[in-house]
Amino acid sequence: MTTFFDEVQEIRKRYPAGARSATLPALRLAQEKHGWLSREAIEETADALEVTPAFCYSVASFYDMFHLEPVGRHTIEICTNLPCALCGAQKVVEAFESALGISAGETTADGEVTLRAVECLGGCGYATVVAVDHRYRQNVKAEDAAEIVEGLDA
Amino acid sequence: MSAELVRVKIDERDVHVPKGTGIVETALAAGIEIPVFCYEPRLGDPVGACRMCLVEVEGMPKLQTGCTLTAQDGMIVKTARTSEKAAAGQNGTLEFILVNHPLDCPVCDKGGECPLQDLTFRYGPGNTRMSYEKLTFEKPIPISPTISLDRERCILCYRCTRFSSDVSEDGQLVAANRGAMSVITTFEDVPYTGAFTGNVTELCPVGALLPTQYRFEGRPWEIVDVPTVCGLCPVGCNINATVRETKVKRILSRNHPEIDEGWICDKGRFAFTHLRAEDRLTQPLQRTRRHGLEEVTWEAAIDEAERLLRAAQGRIVTALSGSETVEQAYALGKLLRAGLGSHQAMLPEEVSGALDGYRLPLSAIRDADAVVVLGDVPVAERAPVVDLWIKSARRKGARILDSADEVGDAERVVLIWSGPGGRGGATVAKLAEKLTLAGREGCGAFYLPTTPNGRGVADAWAACCDDESDEPDSIGLLVVSGDEAAADPNVRALAEQAEATIVLSMFGGLSAGWADLVLPGTSYLERDGTFVNLEGRLQRLRATVTPPCPDELHWIAELAARFDVDVAPYAAAVFAEVSEKVYDGLSFGEVGESAPLRGYPDAAVRVDRPSLPESQAKPGKTEIRLVAYKPLFSGAAVERVTELQFQRPQPEVELSAEDAGWRNIETGDLVTVGSNGNAITLPARVNRRLGKGIARVAIEHANGLGGIVELARAAEEVSA
Ligand code: SF4
Ligand code: SF4
Ligand code: FES
Ligand code: FES
Repeated sequence: MTTFFDEVQEIRKRYPAGARSATLPALRLAQEKHGWLSREAIEETADALEVTPAFCYSVASFYDMFHLEPVGRHTIEICTNLPCALCGAQKVVEAFESALGISAGETTADGEVTLRAVECLGGCGYATVVAVDHRYRQNVKAEDAAEIVEGLDA
Repeated sequence: MSAELVRVKIDERDVHVPKGTGIVETALAAGIEIPVFCYEPRLGDPVGACRMCLVEVEGMPKLQTGCTLTAQDGMIVKTARTSEKAAAGQNGTLEFILVNHPLDCPVCDKGGECPLQDLTFRYGPGNTRMSYEKLTFEKPIPISPTISLDRERCILCYRCTRFSSDVSEDGQLVAANRGAMSVITTFEDVPYTGAFTGNVTELCPVGALLPTQYRFEGRPWEIVDVPTVCGLCPVGCNINATVRETKVKRILSRNHPEIDEGWICDKGRFAFTHLRAEDRLTQPLQRTRRHGLEEVTWEAAIDEAERLLRAAQGRIVTALSGSETVEQAYALGKLLRAGLGSHQAMLPEEVSGALDGYRLPLSAIRDADAVVVLGDVPVAERAPVVDLWIKSARRKGARILDSADEVGDAERVVLIWSGPGGRGGATVAKLAEKLTLAGREGCGAFYLPTTPNGRGVADAWAACCDDESDEPDSIGLLVVSGDEAAADPNVRALAEQAEATIVLSMFGGLSAGWADLVLPGTSYLERDGTFVNLEGRLQRLRATVTPPCPDELHWIAELAARFDVDVAPYAAAVFAEVSEKVYDGLSFGEVGESAPLRGYPDAAVRVDRPSLPESQAKPGKTEIRLVAYKPLFSGAAVERVTELQFQRPQPEVELSAEDAGWRNIETGDLVTVGSNGNAITLPARVNRRLGKGIARVAIEHANGLGGIVELARAAEEVSA
């Protein structure tokens, strides 16, 4: 069985310029494995990349796609950057908040769903963009929130 | 780079500078200041993070950051002095920087020596339009026991994180999050640990990163910075001691571009509080029959010293520390050798003059093509700043090698011997000779000694008398000079054989059990005199504060007078005498605040400590060569500084991945290391950079082990 360490070494081979360039894919791999980037996950990644945990943490904390807190089984991520904001993203956030009974940045008490407001998802032409378990939903309006929450598989 | 000169016009002034010179420097050449926060050439390429240096450049539509521009022929630059646009830009930059800045200058330790304060005063807005609440954080946050971080004051210039990643290369201090929410931090709650962390407190242009020891301890208008030299290791970094009301409050770097480039280590920076250690001696102690060591007056102590010296009838052995000034060693030598005919000395390490033909300033390491680092002791543990020079050489493209065989046709070759062994430099001098480095530009060799002034002490001791004597059959009196000698187990063993022992020591605890007379000693921060560093550079120490006891020269002179030996009680006079014989007649005043590297062809070294057998035996298949090294954070001074204890090495054995692999050892596993029935069991740390067949342990955890040992996983613990 290939270990996490070996997999990271494979990734590193794709970046001859140095281990630092492999940080993003390595962190992504760690997140897939652990669900989120716990202290242990970051330390393990740093060890495999031969960089410091602080460096990995600094990179991970910059990007919205990395979770530094545990997340639910499902994630709902609403873009609130300018184009989406102009198309009513704030209303969409509020709708999801009331549908789930939590605020953005929180996870439901049963650990099922995490709701987050995130930076530009790169789909500005289809604002407001909501990533439901990493699949994009376009032109989302506040009134779609309840249906999307319903549709999450149990 | 060939120096093609270009003409640049700055604020109507013409200057000629080599092409590629930074605009900040070009302006300086024209006598014009461009204000900066993030720009600091010692940190590598500019990053343009703070926008303080905005200037107007003809032909460019927008304001430019001066720090990222270089001089091109015909460039016309206007700074805030002549460009309204640039002035408005800088004003706006400052207004933005201050949006979340607490402006708590009255209680900020940086106040009065703060670039943010100064530049705001000169270039910034007089008041604020910020009517919202500012970001607040918990403050101060101890990012280590020695450094406090006030996040509210941070202006995110990234000087500190660049130091951590690009100079000391420890990668521990980073910026987390993004944009306005960015914060400077370490990982989780791990303290910022390493040889050089304190430098960030000097780099920070605001009161965000501050030395904890200096919090609320002084204000710029009530302190004096006294220039001197650090005496805690053989690098001899140039420092300023900040003195307030007769007390040293802080140590700052004092950039000597050839030695330290303004970086000093945390030992040199934070260990000064040993001056006020609880067990610091101020009165002499004399052993009495019933009560053990008891305080006596200085007169009584000098009388007793005279009595002991006479009673020994020349059978005196002197154990030196290598941390005495040249003058102290000479004065003591003159008394004991010229006055009493006792020539036997024990130096803490071997000293050799063989390297004198291969001298270079430390900064030459950075410009080398190949740097050969020999020996198994980590360079940073012996001579920390040398490690920074090696790192900058590597960043500049030099090959860092661990064997001279790979030098090839490299032009500028520097050899560095980092022990153990090495015969005081003789071994590496041989190698330099073999590679014919003598006289070749940029080529040379260094030996990293274990004591700060071993060479100076050896030269001085050798210079004070030409006679020699055989080893006495019995030791009538052992004179132990300094705390390092007092802590040396070999010296203690000698004390057992001696009929009587006099110890010169700063701290009571060191000699309590075995000395007959203890005379209080002074610290390098309290002495006037000279030191010779590992480059062979003679440097000037200054008494930054008055010691709590008479300084050594004073009473050595008094004692010497009783034996009709003429010793002057002042460093300048003693130096004049040494200088005649060793330093080409250089006068004390000429040594200099920022000393050049001079050659002293007359420096004769005749004091050799019998070399310890240098084991070159190759380890067998299951054996390992254990290097028990003296860590940077160790010694009498460091032991007395509570806030430095977190820097001391863990009890653990480092071993190479290869040696760990086939033994099935992983980091954290317990291993047993032993030879001849002596064994220690410690957790292992696998170090992928360590060579095969070598293991390392800090000497305080080695239990006397060293050399060829057996190493294995510790037997599984039987659970109860
Ligand atoms: S802590 Fe100081 S040096 Fe570091 S980024 Fe903030 S202001 Fe700059
Ligand atoms: S490197 Fe050596 S000389 Fe420099 S500050 Fe540290 S202990 Fe002092
Ligand atoms: S702003 Fe929402 S996807 Fe770009
Ligand atoms: S000094 Fe030029 S951007 Fe900071």
